[in-house]
Amino acid sequence: MGRYILRRFAQFIPVFFGVTLLLFFITTVLPGDPVALKAGEKQLPPAVYAALRHSYGLDKPWYIQYVNYLGALSPVHYTPKAGLQFTGPDLGESISTGRPVTQMFSETYPYTAELAFTAIGLEIIFGIGIGIIAAVKQYTIWDTLATLGSSILVALPVFWLGLMLQYLFGILMKEWTGGSFYLPISGSGGPGSPFDPWVYLVLPGITLASVSTAYAARIMRSQLLEVAGQDYVRTARAKGLRERSVLWGHEMKNALIPVVTFIGLDLGAMLSGAILTETVFNWPGVGLMIYQAIGRRDYPVVVGGVTLVLVVVLVVNLLVDISYAFLDPRIRLGANAEG
Amino acid sequence: MADHLLEVDDLKMHFHTRDGVVKAVDGVSYTLDRGETLGVVGESGSGKSVTALTLMGLIPMPPGRVEGGDVRFKGRSLITMKDEELRAIRGNEISMIFQDPMTSLNPVYRIGRQIAEPVRVHKGASKAEARARAIELLHLVGIPHPEKRVDDYPHQFSGGMRQRAMIAMALACDPDILIADEPTTALDVTIQAQILELMQEVQARTGAAIIMITHDLGVIADIADRVLVMYAGKPVEYGTLDEVFGAPQHPYTWGLMDSVPRAGMTEKSELCPINGQPPSLIDVPSGCSFHPRCPYARERCLTEVPALRNIQGEHKSACHFSGEPWFARGCSLDVQSEVV
Amino acid sequence: MTDDQKATEVSDRAIIEELVPVHPHGPAGDEDERRKESRGARTLYGDAWYRLSRNKLALGALAWLMLLILATLTADLWVPQNFGAPNHIDSSTIMATRLQGPSMTHPLGTDDLGRDMFARVIYGARISLTVGALAVLVSVLIGLLLGALSGFYAGWLDAVIMRIADVFLAFPYILFAILLLSVLPESSRTGIAPVVLTIGVLGWPSIARVFRSSILSVKENDYVDAGRALGASDGRLIVRHILPNAVAPILVYATMSIGGAILTEAALSFLGLGIIPDPVSAPNAVSWGRMISDGQSYLTSNPGIVLWPGLAILTTVLAFTLLGDGVRDALDVKLKD
Repeated sequence: MGRYILRRFAQFIPVFFGVTLLLFFITTVLPGDPVALKAGEKQLPPAVYAALRHSYGLDKPWYIQYVNYLGALSPVHYTPKAGLQFTGPDLGESISTGRPVTQMFSETYPYTAELAFTAIGLEIIFGIGIGIIAAVKQYTIWDTLATLGSSILVALPVFWLGLMLQYLFGILMKEWTGGSFYLPISGSGGPGSPFDPWVYLVLPGITLASVSTAYAARIMRSQLLEVAGQDYVRTARAKGLRERSVLWGHEMKNALIPVVTFIGLDLGAMLSGAILTETVFNWPGVGLMIYQAIGRRDYPVVVGGVTLVLVVVLVVNLLVDISYAFLDPRIRLGANAEG
Repeated sequence: MADHLLEVDDLKMHFHTRDGVVKAVDGVSYTLDRGETLGVVGESGSGKSVTALTLMGLIPMPPGRVEGGDVRFKGRSLITMKDEELRAIRGNEISMIFQDPMTSLNPVYRIGRQIAEPVRVHKGASKAEARARAIELLHLVGIPHPEKRVDDYPHQFSGGMRQRAMIAMALACDPDILIADEPTTALDVTIQAQILELMQEVQARTGAAIIMITHDLGVIADIADRVLVMYAGKPVEYGTLDEVFGAPQHPYTWGLMDSVPRAGMTEKSELCPINGQPPSLIDVPSGCSFHPRCPYARERCLTEVPALRNIQGEHKSACHFSGEPWFARGCSLDVQSEVV
Repeated sequence: MTDDQKATEVSDRAIIEELVPVHPHGPAGDEDERRKESRGARTLYGDAWYRLSRNKLALGALAWLMLLILATLTADLWVPQNFGAPNHIDSSTIMATRLQGPSMTHPLGTDDLGRDMFARVIYGARISLTVGALAVLVSVLIGLLLGALSGFYAGWLDAVIMRIADVFLAFPYILFAILLLSVLPESSRTGIAPVVLTIGVLGWPSIARVFRSSILSVKENDYVDAGRALGASDGRLIVRHILPNAVAPILVYATMSIGGAILTEAALSFLGLGIIPDPVSAPNAVSWGRMISDGQSYLTSNPGIVLWPGLAILTTVLAFTLLGDGVRDALDVKLKD
């Protein structure tokens, strides 16, 4: 297993440099003039402009700039005076508020994580559950419904689904029940709000989980059907196991390995992909922060926010890859892991 | 003997598909007693595996359906038995070893757990008892350091060791009958011999009856007491090993024997493969289903289905001409021109 | 034990397995075999078309897309005349015409600026379909080029290209698009090109992987070696022998990807990073995603403003997915993801 983990790390390194290099090019080289961009609408006097370019290191060759960029990204900084210090990445300040992007990120990120874990919970319960039902009841109406339902979910624009859920559960339901029962459609609660905090997670959670749940159900179904045809399942039956034990004891663990991997990678995507859901539900996470920054042309917040989110995604994906080893004994004890 | 351990009586297992009815097993009978080994030979599609899977209750129904006949185990019909009763016999009193040990073990569970599972299910053994039994069984099938290997996963075992583990699993509940479906086919030749030896040892020790299903006549000659030759879902020859191998009666059996190279064979021409392909089980040839490939076929074979009839002692053959004085084995290719 | 014998022994068990119905609706099965016999040999695409024509969902999807395409192509001839131009705002009558419910003159009602919803949905299809198709075209072109280099030359080039593909796939799609579009100066954002290129550039790794694996499997075939031996150039081999064999999986993948590209365009428009139409050359440009974004504030009183463009996106994307599924089954292509 040690070798497997080492190999994963080895594969992670070029991806990490690739992603950061790409980010560097998009944010620094592609815009042509980040100083002008950072200045926003203002016209800068030439002397100030040149000084700014120098202070950003833009007059240096691109590879020096890239190294500087990586240095800014690093959470640990070294100065001869203070030695190693944990200062967090330096991603500049917001144009509109003047606050450090890192600080804004650390305030909003817990909300994003809360929403992502809610959605992952829903995905695990409903994705795996529906997938199992569809596979066990193959060729029945349940299977057809699950398959068609997942095609529709995948084709739904997430933000539109969110708005429709708001209309159904927040607006129509409030009208029908005369205001006695409905779900909140905006914000995250807090002191003085009419609902318990968790209620605010319901609709955004469902919205964020929708597409992934459909995919998880599809993968679960196809994996179970594939495993059901394996020789070792016949062996299990030949031993005289009950059908229930064959399904839960012998088929499930094999079928779950790829599903769990998918859901793990999905967690990475959700920790980043909440921008649409957060926008629709006014959920105060990083997604909303980035969206609002786009509207205000607050360039450092957009770039810094996206950058930090990407770093989180990369690390989560690496962890998922590694945890895969713990699930599959063929890799964990990998005498011939490749075989 | 009146009460046999297992009696298969005119068993017919058909599959109902969109293309028609597949007569996978069409009237097979045999008996099996304690400590005895029955060898079932035939080409692929001859119904030899389906027969075994039927008595294990492992044929999915539909599309499978038992169209007639019966299988009695210790006097009880396995065909009319409730699923739950059959399940209690499966893996307990009758157990099965499959062809491919590489894929027949669950990759995500430890060997020991898989071997001990029948004991847990059928005997209600505790985890500790089951583990002790697994170690004992691994020792029995000749796995070195069983107390360590019991915690291994299948991928840590070689092919031969996995088949040993499969045998251990089949023996877990001291079965009365052990069905082996091509247990050596996927293994190297040297390992094949070891596995056969192991099965004989186990039989001597436990007194289990064995049904050995194979296309390999060498395996049959090694291990069987009696032999059943099947073709297109039907039995074509049946008898003791000496009878069938000493004086084979059916042209199909001759063909099988002549298509295998033997030591002492000097010329290539002595090797006479059977012409043609096994028939489709949906559209079985009229009369004797072997007639399109039979060098001795005559008019009668096209219209009249030959019965499986006694030739001598227990020896039976399903050929119209078996036992007739002129009817003798010869290399098919030479005979063809003379007889037809 | 020869391999032959092994194979026949395996098929013994396969007999049982084959008998269990695998395809509930029976596509690509024995019926086709019989049909082939009765009509003689047919081409791959002839057979595929026959199978597709028996798949009702896929046919329905195809019909819906054809209808949509026809409507957008002819829109200039009948939509503005009957329902009004999609972006026309008449400030003198706006108070009377805005936020109307469905009626004979406005089948889907009007939006907050008195514009006809039906006209806007129809013209929205034009943008969505164009962006979807062009973006996938960009992906396919880049993907084919890099996939060909990667699959055909193997070695370090393959490793580098596949690592780059990993990098692209490690990026969350939508964030990458946001980043790319938000760094472009406003002046260069006009027209559909920036959005098309952004979505297209993001889609290449999947196509490249599909094409690469097609090449790797085709490369093993003898006729490629034979072609080599006869002195065919690499380019000729790719165009003549490998491309035709790789068309089926790429066709399937591209069909499915159009739906994804349409969703991305809608999401970008919803976030305010979508297409900025040039008012002179494209006065009738409308984006469904933008319509939903604009309509949000009227959700309580006039949910139709949000409902219709959303349904349009849903049905169009679903149609591409179902058509893609149908083409996949018809061509008998297996996609790993």
